[in-house]
Amino acid sequence: MENDLILVIVVFTALAFDFTNGFHDTANSVATSISTRALAPRTAVTLAALLNFAGAFISLKVAATIASGIVDATIVTPTVIFAGLIGAIFWNLATWYLGLPSSSSHALIGGVVGAAFVAAGSDAVMGAGLLEKVIVPALVAPVIAFLAAGGAILITYRMVGRLRPGPVNRGYRLGQIASLSLLSLSHGTNDAQKTMGIITLALIANGSLTGASPDPPTWVIFSAASAIALGTYSGGWRIIRTMGSRIIKMDPAQGFSAQTGGAAVLLTAAHLGFPLSTTHSITGAVLGAGAAKRLSAVRWGLAGNIFLAWVLTLPAAAAVGGITYGACHVFGNGAAGPVVISVVLLAIMAIVFAKRLQRGPALTTAVGG
Amino acid sequence: MIAAVDTKALLELVLVAPAAVLTVTVAWGLVIRGATRAAEARREGDTTATAINALVALAGGALFTAALVYGLIIMTTK
Repeated sequence: MENDLILVIVVFTALAFDFTNGFHDTANSVATSISTRALAPRTAVTLAALLNFAGAFISLKVAATIASGIVDATIVTPTVIFAGLIGAIFWNLATWYLGLPSSSSHALIGGVVGAAFVAAGSDAVMGAGLLEKVIVPALVAPVIAFLAAGGAILITYRMVGRLRPGPVNRGYRLGQIASLSLLSLSHGTNDAQKTMGIITLALIANGSLTGASPDPPTWVIFSAASAIALGTYSGGWRIIRTMGSRIIKMDPAQGFSAQTGGAAVLLTAAHLGFPLSTTHSITGAVLGAGAAKRLSAVRWGLAGNIFLAWVLTLPAAAAVGGITYGACHVFGNGAAGPVVISVVLLAIMAIVFAKRLQRGPALTTAVGG
Repeated sequence: MIAAVDTKALLELVLVAPAAVLTVTVAWGLVIRGATRAAEARREGDTTATAINALVALAGGALFTAALVYGLIIMTTK
């Protein structure tokens, strides 16, 4: 009974993370398209949500579970997963509030690392795995995307610079719809699977699923796909505004170069078995497309804040994950800790949301400015 | 600890990723350049230029579509 309760809490927390992952990462695929008016805001997020939902069904290789090779798998309990998810949700919400794009995957890894560290000490964390799967990709992704998108926009201007701007802008807006679709599908495939992997892991730990590497049940696939699609549809408008119009003011050719450049880097990396963060790649590409046109076109102060958020992602999520695990442990090893923490967090969120509602609509689709 | 990083894949990525981006950029650039110039040539009654530019646009479109399909294949098979 107690194990079932922890399982239910982990499943709901994983779906909550999936939802925040969706709305936090909406900007990666829709921000440049909205900014260049390739699509209306609501149309863009609807298309992205549908393709995220479809993407979740494309591939079901959940064997590569979260944080494998980074923390010792033998110490990962449902409470460690719960605490890691809380760390990741906290960081996603904090960066969304500040309008800063950051990697949801790195936040999740950070949360699990922090919880594992508190649960079993430093031996539970594999430094080499962290270097390979988090630190090196975080350095590589924005640099390659920056250079590639910068090169792409220079070639673009050379190819179409002397043509009439009307048809050229219409053409690049059309191209952006294709790259938005590819990015959204790719995001659904990658990120919904993280949640499927977490829930499947919890089901195995609870004895509800058996076998060496069982497939996730249909309800797990459907609920993870729905959560990420709903999150995407609700739209992380603060981050969309940052990526779409605050880093640089972009024209359709720049939007196309940034979005398509980021997508090509991501898919090439996936093909070579070197997975990179979508957020880092697209942000790097947006900066590259702006800087190649004119260095002063980029708001470097804002770019600095984004880099700082990337540096802080792992330690901040780890700190919250560790504190959450410690707080759970105060109530023993059973379900009491996760239950109390969940109730407290839900109450805090309800109070914050109610206070926000008193000041006007809490959810808007305003992206201008 | 450095041994943990797959340097071969990393180097390959540094070389291949920009090439992929440039291929897609040039492909779509050809579509726009070809289509725009073909439209201008048709208005001027120059059928040869219309046909050549339309072919350029088609070639770019085919390359761009191939890149999109390849991206989908990578997604479904990785």
